[in-house]
Amino acid sequence: MNIQDIRVCVLRIEGTNCEEEAYNAFKLLGADPEKVHLKQLTGDCPPSMRRDLDDYQILMFPGGFSAGDYVRAGAIFAARIKSRLAPDVENFVSSGRPVLGICNGFQILVELGLLPSFDEILSEEPQAALYTNDSGRFECRPTYLKHENHGKCVFTSQLPRGEVVLFPSAHAEGNLRFPTDREMEIVRRLEENDQIVFRYVDADGNYAGYPWCPSGTVANIGGICNPEGNVLGLMPHPERVMFRYQHPDWTRDQDPNAPGDGRVIFSSALEYVSRRY
Amino acid sequence: MDMAELTRKRDLPFPLYEVDIFSASDRDLMNISASMGLNLSLDEMHEVRKYFDAKGRLPTDIELQSIAQAWSEHCCYKSSKVILREHIFTIKHPDVLAKGDAGVMVFDDEYAYALRVESHNHPSAIEPYGGAATGIGGIVRDILAMGAQPVALVDPLFFGPLDLKETPPGVKLPKYLVRGVVSGIRDYGNRIGIPTVAGGVFFDPSYTGNCLVNVGCVGFMRRDRLLNNAVKGVGDVLILAGGRTGRDGIHGVNFASAELTETSEEESRGSVQLGDPITKEPLIHACLEVNERGLISGIKDLGGGGLSCVVGEISLAGGCGADVELDRVPLKEEGLAPWEIWVSESQERMMLATPEENVDAVLEVFALWDVTATVIGRVVSDQRVRITYDGELIYELDLDFLTKGPEYCRPWAPPSSASKESFLAPNLPEDVNAIILSTLADPNIASKEWMVLQYDHEVRASTVVKPLQGKTGFRGPGDGVVIKPLMDSYRGLAIAIGVNPWFTSQDPYNGGRSSVDEMCRNIAAVGGRPHSLTDCMNFGNPEKPERLYEFREAVRGVGEMARAMNLAVPSGNVSFYNETALGPTLPTPTCMGVGIVEDIRKCVTTDLKRAQNPVYLIGETKDEMGASILYRRYGGKGGKVPEVDATALSRNIDTVLAAGQAGMLRSCHDCADGGLAITLAEMCIGGDLGLQLDISGMGDLSFETKLFSESNSRFVVEVDAVKRSDFERLAKDAIYLGVVDQDKRMVIRDGHRKVDLKVAAMRKAWSDTLWRLV
Repeated sequence: MNIQDIRVCVLRIEGTNCEEEAYNAFKLLGADPEKVHLKQLTGDCPPSMRRDLDDYQILMFPGGFSAGDYVRAGAIFAARIKSRLAPDVENFVSSGRPVLGICNGFQILVELGLLPSFDEILSEEPQAALYTNDSGRFECRPTYLKHENHGKCVFTSQLPRGEVVLFPSAHAEGNLRFPTDREMEIVRRLEENDQIVFRYVDADGNYAGYPWCPSGTVANIGGICNPEGNVLGLMPHPERVMFRYQHPDWTRDQDPNAPGDGRVIFSSALEYVSRRY
Repeated sequence: MDMAELTRKRDLPFPLYEVDIFSASDRDLMNISASMGLNLSLDEMHEVRKYFDAKGRLPTDIELQSIAQAWSEHCCYKSSKVILREHIFTIKHPDVLAKGDAGVMVFDDEYAYALRVESHNHPSAIEPYGGAATGIGGIVRDILAMGAQPVALVDPLFFGPLDLKETPPGVKLPKYLVRGVVSGIRDYGNRIGIPTVAGGVFFDPSYTGNCLVNVGCVGFMRRDRLLNNAVKGVGDVLILAGGRTGRDGIHGVNFASAELTETSEEESRGSVQLGDPITKEPLIHACLEVNERGLISGIKDLGGGGLSCVVGEISLAGGCGADVELDRVPLKEEGLAPWEIWVSESQERMMLATPEENVDAVLEVFALWDVTATVIGRVVSDQRVRITYDGELIYELDLDFLTKGPEYCRPWAPPSSASKESFLAPNLPEDVNAIILSTLADPNIASKEWMVLQYDHEVRASTVVKPLQGKTGFRGPGDGVVIKPLMDSYRGLAIAIGVNPWFTSQDPYNGGRSSVDEMCRNIAAVGGRPHSLTDCMNFGNPEKPERLYEFREAVRGVGEMARAMNLAVPSGNVSFYNETALGPTLPTPTCMGVGIVEDIRKCVTTDLKRAQNPVYLIGETKDEMGASILYRRYGGKGGKVPEVDATALSRNIDTVLAAGQAGMLRSCHDCADGGLAITLAEMCIGGDLGLQLDISGMGDLSFETKLFSESNSRFVVEVDAVKRSDFERLAKDAIYLGVVDQDKRMVIRDGHRKVDLKVAAMRKAWSDTLWRLV
């Protein structure tokens, strides 16, 4: 299928606030994104605005503070989807179509049970949590990520393994955690399944603690995918670095016209869809 | 007479009182003003009586409350208008597209930007978290009311000293206020998804009892979507959209128009509104969508005075009046009296004027976002507002009377010569290195990353020059930030602040001028041509002649500089009564400026880039040490405050911009607080590189003056070594200082005197302070 025919559902509710740049990222690469309110999928809207998830090839959960994140980050958005749209979402994922969650979107995917999704596409209860950062603070800072996936993740197929990219972080709850008694066991399982996509590193590419790893997340994990590789959740924001001039240090001897580090996430997914469908 | 004898409840199932101002003595009138919380003077009460006398009936409580809102200093600028008219309002600029809730300026042929800054001082002094959050909420609505998408937030803050351990009764610890205000900005700004990109925080004992929280916003829109805060005419209905109305935020404007006292918290807690960013975020979407689709005639935000101000203003702006059914206003709780509904400043509300035939379409958009929107009235041709509640007429006022508030030409006088400080030289240590390290650690100079990193300054992905600049992980300061608002254009908006309360206190006229100078420098340093400014004038009680003198002089300075620099001033705000029993705050003329960047790919940051690049000082350094941070820290008093030569400023900006356009500059930093020494240190910190300089070429000044004078209109630039001769041809007056050095030390020589400091030591001094104190 041609890239310009790939329809991307950029899903939002009140408090979703990174939809503009998410939309722009797909638009820039020639796809056909649309900002869709959840109520347009559930049918709580005039008929002319009604949308069907099955008509899209990519589903994207942008960042923000959906419904204020007042219960737990992402919990309210996830609950609304689960109560009304769970079969549609399951169908979407099981068909192999890509689902991307950035920042609050990652939190939503975890709350929804789409990640880490060990045994079923959509787990009954969340199997992980994106807990408050160790610093207890909202952290808006540049972060470096090392690509660690061996080839399963459809969002990083164009990024060589071991490559380090700069995606900025901006979150207060990015500390990925599993049940304490089994935490390392689960991390090993993620590794064995090739579900780890990004780990935080310092400017030289070495694993490092705070502030290079802004949240204190387990094993420096910044992004994971499902066992099939078509659902990716990550805390940092690739959609904010589509051009070099959006990087924090581009005035230091870098060509502002060059592509930004984030582009590869979107172009990989579009390439995957265009090949597969 | 007893208040009870002067008020009579109408026989209705809801509370409504008529107030007998006809039989009231002057003392009774003042009692009425005080007990109803009107804050009106005796003369003003007489005016009110005259109006109702002519009508031949008594006013209702809701009418008196409405007049008090409209006539408050906050709403009608009664003490400042005369002065602003003389110095600011007369400034003409061809690029001004609108002056409404916010100013709107030309960006290019197709697009415009909006800007405004205002204060939320008194609420923040009482309830820092809610006060700051609702400050953001209010300024965002001002931008939205012009039809613009908010794209950047700016928050200059002013507090008492962080290490203060005890405060007088009724005053909160500065540390508590800082934490509360920053949390409020963070939680509101981050949630609505508008980047907080600039601001600054300033500390001085005078702000202890009355902190200043200034909030600015820049918006962006297509020019053909510009709205004018007005109804189109008869046939429009009024739709109230957004949050419900409650008892929070009653008498906010009256509270803002009086000095803070020991009992302010107890009496005025109810004046502080409650913010709800998750009502605001979809409200922004919905308002922009109905505007984009051309469904509405105008929007206006509900701020000070709530419905009582917005209904009259939006109607009169279209040459009309309105009939309102007040019982239709959605409430947070039962039992509000009509006057409370009318004046409540509950947050997250917008008033939309919509042609009758579009109402359904508008309500549908709001319904999708689950934002309450209700038709509450309609536009009529007579210029008056009439309110019914459950069918009963409870209010009828002529807009001409209501909105034409009083205007005062209050007396002003310079301070007596006795109170002027006589000169006292500072007691400086011999070791200049120690002065620099200790000044870098001063809270007024030190890194503000403690707060900046809590604000999402990159959401919307258009912040292309960020507030902290330098090698990743090293985070030096920036002068201005740059927003790239369009995907398909490299044109950008440079945004910066300029304000110097200490200069203004010692010399209000030159303080006002210096604030504009600094703002212009900050914009030019990143590569922007200064284009417009919006000012937030925070001063003391204008009923005191010395305070009004400060205001008048500062406004004169700001206005003159705006004219000289060809800057538009399409919006602004005055905040008086920043004063407690302890005294006034420093006079604080906050200037927020916007500049146009032709091509954001040519922007320059403050951090040093490469060893062996030559470094120059542009602009003249003079012996102007009065009110400098060196004097403040080391006991200097009096002395000359820096003056501004607008011609020199223009010339220096031209040089910096031309050199930037030609790709000659690798870094650029304006020379401000702490003078040349601190400017150079900050460039080293961000770039993680050293300097080898000799400043003997700066002329016949003492070493300390060269290093620490805060003379205006100066820049330090690092020039690409390859383009050195081109630059020297362009900037003939620039003073060569030396080169960037791989060795991470800042070495500055002047004859036998010398600065020699490790960059790491300077970074530590500069970076740790706020983390330690807050």
